[in-house]
Amino acid sequence: MSSSTVSVSAATPTRHPFQRKIDDVKPSKTDINFVIMDYLVSEGYPRAAEKFAKEANIQLPLEEESIQCRVEIRQAIHVGDIDTAITKINDLNPQILDTDPALHFALLRLQLIELIRACTSSATSDITPALNFASSQLAPRAATNLDFLKDLELTMSLLIFLPATSTLQKELTDLLDPCLRRNVASKVNEAILTSMGARGEARMRSLVRLRHWAESKARAAGKDIPPALPLGLQDADERPSDSNGNNGAAADIMVQ
Amino acid sequence: MYNRRSSYAAAVASGSTGTNQTHPAPTRSGAFSHMLNSAHSTPHNLSHSRLSRSVDADGHHSSMSNSWTRGGPLPSYSSQTGYWQGLGGSVQDIPPFFVPSYLRGSKHAEKLHEAHKAKLAAHRDAKSTHSSNAASLSTSSSSVNLHKMAPSHRGLTHEIIERTPPVADEPAPWPTKWNDGDKFAQLDIEDNGRQAKFSGSQKTHDEAAAVRADFPMPRQCGIYYYEITVISKGKDGRMIGVGFSGPKVALSRIPGWEPDSYAYHGDDGQIFSNTTSGKPFGNKFGTLDVIGCGINFRTNTAFFTKNGQFQGTAFRDLKPTMQYYPTVGMKKPGETLRANFGQEPFAYDIDKMVQDEKAAIQAEIARAKSSDKAATNETDFIHQLIGQYLAHDGYVETARAFADEAIEEARALANDEDADIPYPETVEDLDALNRQKIRTAILDGDIDKALKHTTAYYPSVLRDNENIYFKLRCRKFIEMIRRCNEMTAQCHPVPTPPSKRSTASTLNKRNSTATDEYDFEMELDEQLGVHNPTPSWDNKDDDEELDDEDDMEDKEIKLQQLTQDTITYGMELRQEFANDQRREVKRALEDTFALIAYENVRESTLAPLLETAGRVPVAEELNSAILVSLGKSSSAALERLVQITEALVTELADDGGPGAFINVRRDFLQ
Repeated sequence: MSSSTVSVSAATPTRHPFQRKIDDVKPSKTDINFVIMDYLVSEGYPRAAEKFAKEANIQLPLEEESIQCRVEIRQAIHVGDIDTAITKINDLNPQILDTDPALHFALLRLQLIELIRACTSSATSDITPALNFASSQLAPRAATNLDFLKDLELTMSLLIFLPATSTLQKELTDLLDPCLRRNVASKVNEAILTSMGARGEARMRSLVRLRHWAESKARAAGKDIPPALPLGLQDADERPSDSNGNNGAAADIMVQ
Repeated sequence: MYNRRSSYAAAVASGSTGTNQTHPAPTRSGAFSHMLNSAHSTPHNLSHSRLSRSVDADGHHSSMSNSWTRGGPLPSYSSQTGYWQGLGGSVQDIPPFFVPSYLRGSKHAEKLHEAHKAKLAAHRDAKSTHSSNAASLSTSSSSVNLHKMAPSHRGLTHEIIERTPPVADEPAPWPTKWNDGDKFAQLDIEDNGRQAKFSGSQKTHDEAAAVRADFPMPRQCGIYYYEITVISKGKDGRMIGVGFSGPKVALSRIPGWEPDSYAYHGDDGQIFSNTTSGKPFGNKFGTLDVIGCGINFRTNTAFFTKNGQFQGTAFRDLKPTMQYYPTVGMKKPGETLRANFGQEPFAYDIDKMVQDEKAAIQAEIARAKSSDKAATNETDFIHQLIGQYLAHDGYVETARAFADEAIEEARALANDEDADIPYPETVEDLDALNRQKIRTAILDGDIDKALKHTTAYYPSVLRDNENIYFKLRCRKFIEMIRRCNEMTAQCHPVPTPPSKRSTASTLNKRNSTATDEYDFEMELDEQLGVHNPTPSWDNKDDDEELDDEDDMEDKEIKLQQLTQDTITYGMELRQEFANDQRREVKRALEDTFALIAYENVRESTLAPLLETAGRVPVAEELNSAILVSLGKSSSAALERLVQITEALVTELADDGGPGAFINVRRDFLQ
């Protein structure tokens, strides 16, 4: 309706024809709220999900049992407490790690990284626990899989370089980056969801990827689209502070 | 009796037995007839249009609804029958809509279905302007609007937005039949265009007779496929060609011999494109063989099937800009081909081919990662989107909880309590809280409160957005009816409407044949042991005052008060917008007022209007308007992302590219 076009036309003086096509799309709030709820539940934000169900007047999906468990597992992985995470995953469903050796290996490697990190953080530390863990837990698995072996070798080389993190090559810093834990945690989450028969990946993620894919495809095909398709994320963060203050004050006076 | 009569008709219409307890009759109609104009004609129109609506969903609307009305089991309204007949005639001009199995759920099928429904609606509208007010009320309010609303559970409000005039670029229709106007003269087109038969004498060696379908294969389908069955290969030959050709290709030659003409021939099993000497391809085919022909517009290749077996890719490098029509040709007397453009199940499992194509593209998308961002940034990006959406739309509590949980997560990741967390505390701005209050009020059905807050905080919004103001006012009326309904249900747990108005009974008496059904239903009710207050119906006015239970009486009084208030409000509403000439306003008013015609709206065709889900769009629209008045974007970044994505996918679908295999809403938002 009129509302959606106003702000856009103000921002772009000469409107690209594609802009009109964008504005013609009227996404339904119900769909968007569904995507949000889907994300909150499947990625494990139980409190937000609960509030959202109330505020948006929508039903909370019936996955309550696993959500708390999944949150705990995620937290354990995030803080590097892989032992606890593996125990909890096995409590939930021992099949998950049995049927997904790559996931199991990724978790164990994460544990090894934490051990290495712990024993190299101070000069006096002993690296034996890390070595023992590597040879007892990871080596047997790596023996049968080339990818695993490569990963293990790379991880072990951390022992040589740490704690001098400044000179590390990128491959090694990636191992120490919290992102790795986040990725593994999210893979574990997906595996749990899939094991319950739910859709593994949150729709929000597919949607974000669809946009990337569609944009690069469209550009590759030489479609007539504007050079940039801004979402207004930054925009929304900056602008309100100005107009907001004025309006808020004015509204206050009105009320009184 | 009038309401008995109409509920019976409705029961017949919906195919259920006479024992059901639905009484969607407008027993109050008399009291409101000044608002509705001749409201008494509503019920059977409604029940009729409900029938046509349900049938329409399957794509076979016209013949059934037509025959039902022509049967005319409503003698006292015979004048109306003429109107419906007229309508039936015009609706039949629009061929029934069908979706080939492999295109079900595709975006293009949705678009075509929408266009088809719009066309039907336009026809009905055109008709209704010539007929009485009552008729226009019923057609517009129930059959057209409601059936558009029902699937998405949207409220009345969205109707106004969606009822835009048809856009210039209508979706490309798919072939439905052989085109009687685009054939060689010696072909006969039979059976509603499904069958083509060679009727002339045998042609010379070079000559043949071909026919094209009514529409080209739409590229937007991604893959288009049709099949023909050789009903007869004629006496002495099987010189039959199946394929496709451009719009200008001569129809006096067998397909495949001309430029832009491609075909698979039955006599030698060879394929031809712009040549009279074919290439070996597959088996020969003859009588009772089923030959399928398809184009994959993404790869610009064509393939054929025979009796459900894939025969291989026949042609590559089809021209991406050419319009290809399904085409068949033959040259022997008696040769007869029957086409299946998707009206019936296909012999070949084309659904699977399309599914595989979809799956491959989905997998490609899943692999797609932003080039400039690492995969892990995806999570940050999503969190930004969600945070901004929650704040933007005034989900204050959720925004706070989400930020807390996200910060918790980030802290855990960073392994550091005091780590620099990239999540800013949600800005507790006053507007967000105000907007939240307004939204909550609407979602609770308290429209007065929402109006009060809006006027207090954002006085300009309702002034500048008259349509939103109007929708809020309408919604308030709907909420009042809802309350009346709830109270009625409390006072009278028996489903039969107990109260009545004298006007209703006078109407009833006009229908002489009604008594039979009335007795019949009564008997049934008694047999079933249902408590039926109907025998005392005519004395109910007296009984009502002498209700035994005190609180019942109390409620009864409240209900009467509420009903009175509702009527008063309704009259106010009508007066306020009486001079508004806008079509959508009139329409919305008609829809809304039609509600009072029913004692028990929940069991009527108008029930969707009462659903609480209808509050959501009103709340969202008001929220957007407030945001615009504050100088903010009316849509959040996440909505923008959906819009952009959908537009991009459409762009990728228009030429038959990979976008044709994606239905953003179905595949990604549900």
